[in-house]
Amino acid sequence: MIVEGICVVIAAYCAIRAVFEPKTLKKLPYLNVMNFAVAGAIVLLMPYPITICAAIAYFIGSTLESNAIASTFARLEEQ
Amino acid sequence: MTDLILILAIFLALFGGIAALLVRSAFDKLICLGILTAGVVLFLVEKGYLDVAIVVSLLMPVGTIFILLLLGKKQEAAK
Repeated sequence: MIVEGICVVIAAYCAIRAVFEPKTLKKLPYLNVMNFAVAGAIVLLMPYPITICAAIAYFIGSTLESNAIASTFARLEEQ
Repeated sequence: MTDLILILAIFLALFGGIAALLVRSAFDKLICLGILTAGVVLFLVEKGYLDVAIVVSLLMPVGTIFILLLLGKKQEAAK
């Protein structure tokens, strides 16, 4: 109960913070933290062992996505 | 305990969708789409469709990277 509460609070706070942050490059760390909290919540949801595969796939995919956004935005800004 | 994570999924999906409608910049829209996808993957895992969740979380960055390839050529997208 406490562990789920911690994951939910971190994910909700970081989602709100990521949307209302004014600068785009400062939004991306909050998006990353929200993805970590959601990956933790996925592991806690179902009691089967394949859940950990879903969590690993979500972790890899979300990290790749936010890093791709960050690198493209940084390359556009320095031009 | 599952109810708490279900509330988180509802909040993430609705908040990300509404924010993606209202936000102006293209990169911010992609960030809001990432928040929406976190909610969708949580819904899939909560219903037990773990294979669908794995495929969705591995294919989500592919679509984002295609959008970023098109977006990286425009100088005015970084504003």
